[in-house]
Amino acid sequence: MILTGAAIAAAHAAGEITIEPFDPMRLSPNAYDWRLGETLHACDGALDAARPTVVTEIPLGASGFVLRPGVLYLGDTYEKTRSERYAQLLNGNRTIGSLGIWVHVSAPLGHQGHAIRWTLEIRAARPVRVYPRMTFGKLTFLHTLGAAASYQQHGLKYATSHGVETSRLYEELPGGRP
Amino acid sequence: MILTGPEIALAAGDGRLRISPFDQAQVNPNSYNVRLGSTLLVYAEDILDAHRPNPTRHVEISREGHVLEPGQLYLGHTVERVGSDTFVPLLFGRSSVGRLGLFVEITAPIGDIGFHGQWTLMLSPIRPLRVYAGMKIGQIMFFVAVGPITPYAGKYQSADGPQASAYWRDLVPAPRAAS
Repeated sequence: MILTGAAIAAAHAAGEITIEPFDPMRLSPNAYDWRLGETLHACDGALDAARPTVVTEIPLGASGFVLRPGVLYLGDTYEKTRSERYAQLLNGNRTIGSLGIWVHVSAPLGHQGHAIRWTLEIRAARPVRVYPRMTFGKLTFLHTLGAAASYQQHGLKYATSHGVETSRLYEELPGGRP
Repeated sequence: MILTGPEIALAAGDGRLRISPFDQAQVNPNSYNVRLGSTLLVYAEDILDAHRPNPTRHVEISREGHVLEPGQLYLGHTVERVGSDTFVPLLFGRSSVGRLGLFVEITAPIGDIGFHGQWTLMLSPIRPLRVYAGMKIGQIMFFVAVGPITPYAGKYQSADGPQASAYWRDLVPAPRAAS
């Protein structure tokens, strides 16, 4: 079951969902409309799952920045979100999708208990100019079945991200050996 | 409703879902991490035809890994056999893999109740990316279903290794032209 906008507002008021900053105007019928952050990291080289990623940092100014096809950009959400009670799914909205922008690379799930500004994995189908703090997508909240486990107790990698974080998969693959 | 990690572990124990092999260390708060198998399938011809079997070639990922190239589609598979006769499974990438620019599915995250087998991964990278057999690549989550269940009996049942598209198997043979 997916929370409605009113249910998200009630859960926020009850302290079961944290969204910082929270703006009630950003509640939509069954989501919270999140914004793009203020920094992108671009990667136009070759990558290796067993090595750290080399990126170039791009501060987003008021005039925006043109995303290019074929380049991997890591960005972040302007909002930091957390819920110990609900699981979260982050996606783009239809406006962003209609501009040919992916906001994640087949990884929409936010586990119960993470407390993060989400790292976005951005790809563009066509050259497209984007701007800091523009509305970028929808965050939905899901009811769960079963005893809760928290990301905070799992010792997982991105439990408290404060901004764009590159992949730390290499920590699991020393010398390319799982 | 999405299952919590503790509920996934319970359900794997009592048979409401099956994950083989199962390792508690791969349980997340709302998902289970699955690993990349060692075999990739690559379509051998430039243009695919939805109505015909498309020739493929096998690639075995070596100990040094294998570089996936942008613009190419690789069909991979999970090491684990995963399925449920009760819950709806969804497979997505892990965020660690997404951050490397690798799609692990292409607009088809939702599995069928009653499918049991290795999942085919649709691997397509944004940048060249070296991957390794056995790396934890995706996450399967489970959703509660509402309504009577008719379990999956489709063409990919009990899949072993990556499966190329078998759309052609569903085609009704075209009527022969009258002579």
